[in-house]
Amino acid sequence: MADQEIEISQKQEVTPEKGELTYEGVYFTPAVDIYETEKELVLLADLPGVEADGLEVDLKDDYLTIVGRTTSAQEEGESLLEEYRTGSYFRNFLVTDAVDQSAITASLADGVLKVTLPKAAKAIPRKIPITSG
Amino acid sequence: MLWPRMRRDPWWMQEVDRLRREMDRLVEGVARRPFLGFETRLFPLLNVRDKSDSYVVSAEIPGMKTDDLEIKIEGETLTMKGERKPLEAAVGASYHRRERATGIFQRSLTLPGKVDPEKVNATYKDGVLIVTLVKEKAAVPRQITVKAE
Repeated sequence: MADQEIEISQKQEVTPEKGELTYEGVYFTPAVDIYETEKELVLLADLPGVEADGLEVDLKDDYLTIVGRTTSAQEEGESLLEEYRTGSYFRNFLVTDAVDQSAITASLADGVLKVTLPKAAKAIPRKIPITSG
Repeated sequence: MLWPRMRRDPWWMQEVDRLRREMDRLVEGVARRPFLGFETRLFPLLNVRDKSDSYVVSAEIPGMKTDDLEIKIEGETLTMKGERKPLEAAVGASYHRRERATGIFQRSLTLPGKVDPEKVNATYKDGVLIVTLVKEKAAVPRQITVKAE
């Protein structure tokens, strides 16, 4: 795993299934990792170029929505090579009631958003002691 | 008299086609080498801009530690090397989705002109690496004003 070379992947533009985005500019679907531990679900999303000011993490009607806006400054000079496009990011996830929705926290560092979704008490596996008698 | 519509290409045309296919095949092998202007399949993807006095190379590599990044300039060749590690070792965690790529990468880029190796500046902010390379004096276009006499 450690010596594996990174494969490149082109950014995928957001194509909404119903309705259309009314936001200005180009939106991409960020790459995410979601993993689960005993107590929580953790979501990591790559949002390069997004500052804390441009980030919105919303929870509404069981949908967790991530919007990361980048400021596209008009760059001077001539473009010699353009392998990637810049733009904002959008993605949403359905959050079930297995998550304690009031305790969700989020942090952003080096272009990576980390959302921690603690499991609701009822979803935490409990070990049931068995007594012999 | 009308020529038949469908004619076989003359033998020499077939030979030219064969040679061209052969050439394409050879060039494809070379094109995988990172070289400005060729499409490459290497991480990270780069954007390069030519400002009048410098070249600006940028790459999106979110979640890096600057210690894991190595940038080198040799002549006109800029090399970026590093390892994107998983953010944390989540022991006993089970993954539902794993889209964020981790691993090692190395990419070299030949710049179109000479740069001053002492004036290479690299910054890493919000997951974006920006390398600014100041052009050597001789490579900076000089504006010459024409004096009227």
